[in-house]
Amino acid sequence: MAHSPSDDATFVPGQPDMWALVLFEAMLFTLYFGVYMVCRVLDPQLFLESQALLDPRWGVLNTLVMLTSSWSIARCVQSAREGSYNAALRDVFITFALGLVFVVLKVAEWASEIGQGLTFTTNEFFSFYYFLTAIHFIHLLVGFVVLGIVIYQLRGPARRSQEIVETGATYWHLVDFLWVMIFALVYLIR
Amino acid sequence: MLVWLGLSGISVLQLWLGSSGGAAVPVANAAITLSVLGMALVKVRFIMREFMEVRHAPALLCRLTDAWLLVTAISLFAIYLAGMAGTFG
Repeated sequence: MAHSPSDDATFVPGQPDMWALVLFEAMLFTLYFGVYMVCRVLDPQLFLESQALLDPRWGVLNTLVMLTSSWSIARCVQSAREGSYNAALRDVFITFALGLVFVVLKVAEWASEIGQGLTFTTNEFFSFYYFLTAIHFIHLLVGFVVLGIVIYQLRGPARRSQEIVETGATYWHLVDFLWVMIFALVYLIR
Repeated sequence: MLVWLGLSGISVLQLWLGSSGGAAVPVANAAITLSVLGMALVKVRFIMREFMEVRHAPALLCRLTDAWLLVTAISLFAIYLAGMAGTFG
């Protein structure tokens, strides 16, 4: 099933089931964010003072890594659509590598924070911080499996399916935009 | 390329805004909060429209993704502003 945006007809990128998952996950995270915000406004000073113990440069660095990985998987979809499978494979490997960079940065950041005595039980802010970043991290790990499926598909000429490539990319973008929200809510808002 | 540059630029701007002030004891700031959150939502919409190709998707998907953005924006802004106004005591 090859999709071409140049056609007049509209299309759903990837499998519709993946979009159902994306919308479900998005709503679930909106609930998490809402609960976080309610707790935050109930004790704003605790949240502000705790948030000041984080280094937002970790957050922005990981945001730039995630955005770049999202751009890369978007290019993979375009290349596969045009039949340039070597370029598509290169782009999905770049996405995978950037995902690994995110993992290394996030683990290093957690290690640094835990080393300062800032753990899940330190206070309510840090409970939310570790919960939100860890649940995002789990989604990212699932993303590696999804990228593995895309690589497997692209490597075998008989297996290639544009729909699977688009479905995998859609999942990876979900991981990206959830991080964009977490970055703003956990590191930056006042 | 342009979308990625724009998204990255907004992220750096968010960092600058979120780190501005430099007060030893951080204080609540509605302007910074609403700006930073608004920019995050704009970034998410760009990711959806451009990277996820919602721009080329049927109207239903466009509406559903925009509805999620709207619900998220209204919920977070309303809770934050209600908190600032002392609604939660």
